[in-house]
Amino acid sequence: MTELRMPKTFADEMVEHCIHGKPQEACGLLAARDGRVVQVFRMTNASASPVRYSLDPKEQFAVYEKIESEGWELGGVFHSHTHTEAYPSPTDVRMASEDVPYVIVSLAQEPPSIRAFRIVKQNWMDSEGSIEEIAVSIEG
Amino acid sequence: MAVQVRIPTVFRKFTDGNPSVELEPGTIADLVDQLEARYPGMREQLLTSEGQLHRFVNVYVNDEDARYLEKLDTKVADGDTVSLLPSVAGG
Ligand SMILES: [Zn+2]
Repeated sequence: MTELRMPKTFADEMVEHCIHGKPQEACGLLAARDGRVVQVFRMTNASASPVRYSLDPKEQFAVYEKIESEGWELGGVFHSHTHTEAYPSPTDVRMASEDVPYVIVSLAQEPPSIRAFRIVKQNWMDSEGSIEEIAVSIEG
Repeated sequence: MAVQVRIPTVFRKFTDGNPSVELEPGTIADLVDQLEARYPGMREQLLTSEGQLHRFVNVYVNDEDARYLEKLDTKVADGDTVSLLPSVAGG
């Protein structure tokens, strides 16, 4: 995948969830069909931290069930950076565990910026990997 | 009937892109053995060198977290669904 397509309403919903989460980082999941986002899932940041995020496994499982039952695919994982640019941190690379776009919403400037990356590692437990940017195309 | 195992995106390079595979009933440890036999290299993705589930892998049997069942000894029957979920986190 070289592009993540997202209707503007979903981009807005994602940004709103991130702003609402301040001063802590916010996180969520995106469901997609054929590379186009069809739903935003606002998730709890189980780490409740301004510099870390983690999904609650139970919530995550429920969303994956929903995605499966709807015939969607996991379209991405998103989280906010409250004071840094929309680019994966070393922690983001180390913890990356899904082979889907990682969408980062930076609240460091106005308006917030949205960028997406694929974090490619030999082994998902590796602490280092390469970062490939994926274009985010906001539609409508 | 079989056990359906849902494969997370990060392991689909082992399963030729398939999001789920069908295995024979047994314990979760047996399922890991079956995965390893079919897709060499998968065991070390799921288990530590001590043979325990990796801390960052959550396993659900139907809708129960296997960590609260009998972990690798949890029995899985025909018709059950096993979901492997990687922890999703960052900073
Ligand atoms: Zn981050």
